Amino acid sequence: MSGAKLEAAGKPDLPRSNPKPPGPWRAVWHKFIRNPYALTGLCILLFFIITAVFARWLAPYNPSQIDLLYANLPAGTDNHLLGTDELGRDIFSRLLYSSQISLLVGFSVAIVSVVIGTLIGALSGYFGGWLDTCFMRLVDVMNSIPLLFLNILILAIFGSKFSYMILVLAFTSWMGVARLVRGTFLQLREMQYVEAAKAIGVSDWSIIFKHLLRNASFPIIVNATLMVGGAILSESALSYLGLGVQSPATSWGLMLTNAQEFMLVDPIQALYPGLCILIVVLAVNFIGDGIRDALDPRKKIKIPRRRLNQWRKDYSKFGT
Amino acid sequence: MTEYLIRRILQSVLVLFLITLVTFALIHAAPGGPAQIFLSPNMSQEAAKVQMHNLGLDKPVYIQYIRWIGDLLQGDLGYTFKNHIPVGDILWPTVKNTIVLMSAAWFLAMLIAIPWGIYNSTAEYGLSDQTASIISYIGFAMPTFWFGIILQEIFALKLDWLPLSDMWTMGKEGQPSDLLLHLVLPVTVLTLGFLAAYVKYSRSSMLEVLHQDYIRTARAKGVQERRVVFRHALRNALIPIITILGLDLPMLVAGAALTENVFNWPGMGRLFVNMALAREYSVLMAITLIVAVMVIIGNLIADLLYALVDPRVQLGRKGGRAA
Repeated sequence: MSGAKLEAAGKPDLPRSNPKPPGPWRAVWHKFIRNPYALTGLCILLFFIITAVFARWLAPYNPSQIDLLYANLPAGTDNHLLGTDELGRDIFSRLLYSSQISLLVGFSVAIVSVVIGTLIGALSGYFGGWLDTCFMRLVDVMNSIPLLFLNILILAIFGSKFSYMILVLAFTSWMGVARLVRGTFLQLREMQYVEAAKAIGVSDWSIIFKHLLRNASFPIIVNATLMVGGAILSESALSYLGLGVQSPATSWGLMLTNAQEFMLVDPIQALYPGLCILIVVLAVNFIGDGIRDALDPRKKIKIPRRRLNQWRKDYSKFGT
Repeated sequence: MTEYLIRRILQSVLVLFLITLVTFALIHAAPGGPAQIFLSPNMSQEAAKVQMHNLGLDKPVYIQYIRWIGDLLQGDLGYTFKNHIPVGDILWPTVKNTIVLMSAAWFLAMLIAIPWGIYNSTAEYGLSDQTASIISYIGFAMPTFWFGIILQEIFALKLDWLPLSDMWTMGKEGQPSDLLLHLVLPVTVLTLGFLAAYVKYSRSSMLEVLHQDYIRTARAKGVQERRVVFRHALRNALIPIITILGLDLPMLVAGAALTENVFNWPGMGRLFVNMALAREYSVLMAITLIVAVMVIIGNLIADLLYALVDPRVQLGRKGGRAA
């Protein structure tokens, strides 16, 4: 935290010598890192991302290497940090490699569905008319189908390829973003700068992408962040049902299927992958909430009592 | 009102038609189509043709669709490909089982969540409020099936208090006490999921009302706090809550696919997953249809209830919420 810096700024004898006011991104960032939950979430997510990227070098064993001689070892034996599963595969290595899959699915689904949702929302918000009606009815229909059923149906019909799963999850989660972008665009398109841009002959596409989208970007980012968590959960659910990631690749959901099958032999196995999912999704949700709070000008910053007292002491005319 | 109802029902039929069309198209877009599940490579061409003909799969897709709709209107959901069992025979019992499970969880969640949310709105950021917010954070971030597995390990395997899975113990089918014991774990899992959302909703909708001017007026003229909360605020706060509950109604049929799989509950969600893995398309079509019907009924009920509790809402008028 930038506690020292803030305290320095709070001293009355230090004049503010900031030549230019902080931009919106900096302002949001400063508010964001003052939120302890959001900061913790960010650190945890970065930790998971780093371990996922370097899984190849961090993992002590090959995650799909079967060694029946050393099956179901308890944690800590024989250099197996968390023991081995029913086929003798190293659980710690499998967890590391699974985090790659889960994070990859989470982020790519969020990106793809934000692109789809933004495009549809922007078009229907900006142009309105029959285009808007069609797209919004489509959103209504999509929202009225239970999405887990739809995911299961499509994956069962077309087979569970990794790329299919990302596409299917993205195609069933763009509706929130579309609604949001449409709503923002409906407001923004009445702004005077849009009128001005139109008057000097800027094309519709430039207005959408250069002016409006930039102004709508903050709520989109919040929504995208929260979507990462949802996508990770959906992936684990589909993999658990046997319709997502297929062996020999691993994912936390797939590991849970195994763990449930061999619950009687090794009950502790079920703990790790579930905890990983819980922690990552919690971290992502904290980050999303943190960004949302940082963007909300009405949200008051929590100032610790210690700092408040310090300020009182510093600014009080009479001392304490 | 009647006019509105008729229009809504007509709209619903249209949406249903679209959904069946999309599902049917999806299934026939699959590589190999529905035929691939019973055609084996060592079958002779002739035998395959006879099979296709018997099941009506050699006709063009639109004729198959019209046939399917026609059968459906007569209450015939079709037959499974593999064993040629009527779909209705395997489907309806599972629907009943799912409704038993889900309604238990739903009512329990409502009974806990709404009073709790109301209480939390009167004691904002108190201990109980923060507990609820922690629960809802965890409830949203936790994979429900993992929670189920952990509960199974603790209460069924380690402590041996409750049955591990299934709906009945062998030989005790039909005893209510046995059913109750089997319900405890899955209902706990499902309730937590509902609870996370409902406490949040009821708290925030109460808070919204409690900050309004007429509540201040009521307090200013000396109405008791209890009366302010339950008489003045709750009535208005219930409106959005009721809408959410109505919109969640279809979950009673569709919501438990994961939990049913964890606990081996013989419900519709588990049937759907099993049939999806076995590619029994007629069953999948039937379940999709039932779920879609439930969703539409749920939406309709939510809208009607909305008009019932809120006299400001006038159904069918242009510019109204439900128009």
